[in-house]
Amino acid sequence: MTKKEKMNKIVISIIIGLICIVLVATILMQFKTVEETDITAIETMREAELRTALSEWKTKYEETNKQLEDTNTKITEYEETADDRQETANLIDQELEQTNMILGKTDVKGPGIIVILEDGDSEVVASDLVELVNELRYAGAEAISINDSRVVNMTEIVEIDNSYIIINGSKRLTSPYEVKAIGNQSYLTSILSLKDSGYIDKYRNSGRIVNIEEKREVKIPKYDGEMKFEYATEKEEE
Amino acid sequence: MVFIAIIIGCIIGAIIGIYAPIIPYTYSGYLAIAIIAALDSVFGGINSVLKKNFDIKIFVTGFFGNAILSILLTILGQKLNVDIYLAAIVVFVGRMFNNLASIRRYYIDRFSNKNEKVEAEETVTTDTVDTSKKQ
Repeated sequence: MTKKEKMNKIVISIIIGLICIVLVATILMQFKTVEETDITAIETMREAELRTALSEWKTKYEETNKQLEDTNTKITEYEETADDRQETANLIDQELEQTNMILGKTDVKGPGIIVILEDGDSEVVASDLVELVNELRYAGAEAISINDSRVVNMTEIVEIDNSYIIINGSKRLTSPYEVKAIGNQSYLTSILSLKDSGYIDKYRNSGRIVNIEEKREVKIPKYDGEMKFEYATEKEEE
Repeated sequence: MVFIAIIIGCIIGAIIGIYAPIIPYTYSGYLAIAIIAALDSVFGGINSVLKKNFDIKIFVTGFFGNAILSILLTILGQKLNVDIYLAAIVVFVGRMFNNLASIRRYYIDRFSNKNEKVEAEETVTTDTVDTSKKQ
């Protein structure tokens, strides 16, 4: 009986010892696993968790991509409009330049002629100059000046007291009158030097000295007065 | 002898556990449930020892049976998309508390009985009676 009891006790001890081994080992393994999991979460995460995380990141990535695209398209739009504005600005600049040139607000140069008119037996009067300017314009002169005073669309050439000629408000002109014109040289000269009825013949016959000279480059200064409308305003279209 | 076996078992188990490889996180959930079940069995065993109706067969089968059953239930729960392991934890931990409570009560009873005994002895002391009783 004692032997059997002892055997029983030994068996029980061994079994309990084995159970202790299993229990403590598993507990420690679990501890280690949990500890490691905090550090390397991804490697030991469950597949499902990984999948959800992946899909979340994917959606986030897609959203961010979309935003990027939107921003890019916006940027290109802005760039296009900026280009357009640049173009319009350039066009406006060009137009402004042209308008200024037409108005006579810029110094210009080009091929043309110089007509020199001098008092001869009879004096040169304002109407002579006006006629000359008209003739030149008829011949297609693009820019005209008299004694380096630019003739623009508002220019007046008047005679005051039958004694002196005034141009552009305050400039007094005296003989010799040097009239410069830029334009097609052959047109200009041919119109002026028509036989008998032409300007040169006509005025030479009436006792003035008229000389004409063709030049490859004629320089005409800009109009140096002020141009502004005080009474006229733009009429709005209805 | 049993105590020696427990101590040796714990030491060997600790060594094995420290040098064992890490199990993947997927299985650590099952292992946790198994550990809870095993601990429940251990406390049940201690309780039964104190109540003097300890049976090694019941203990061993309970130890492994509960662990395996809890693991199987957890797997089933995962397949059904129900957190059955929560029920298992509630049951096992509840039983652990019950067992611990009865163990505690047993020791409190024993301790207070001893004190009463000592007091009773002190009131009726003679040296000879004391020694004889102790023997």
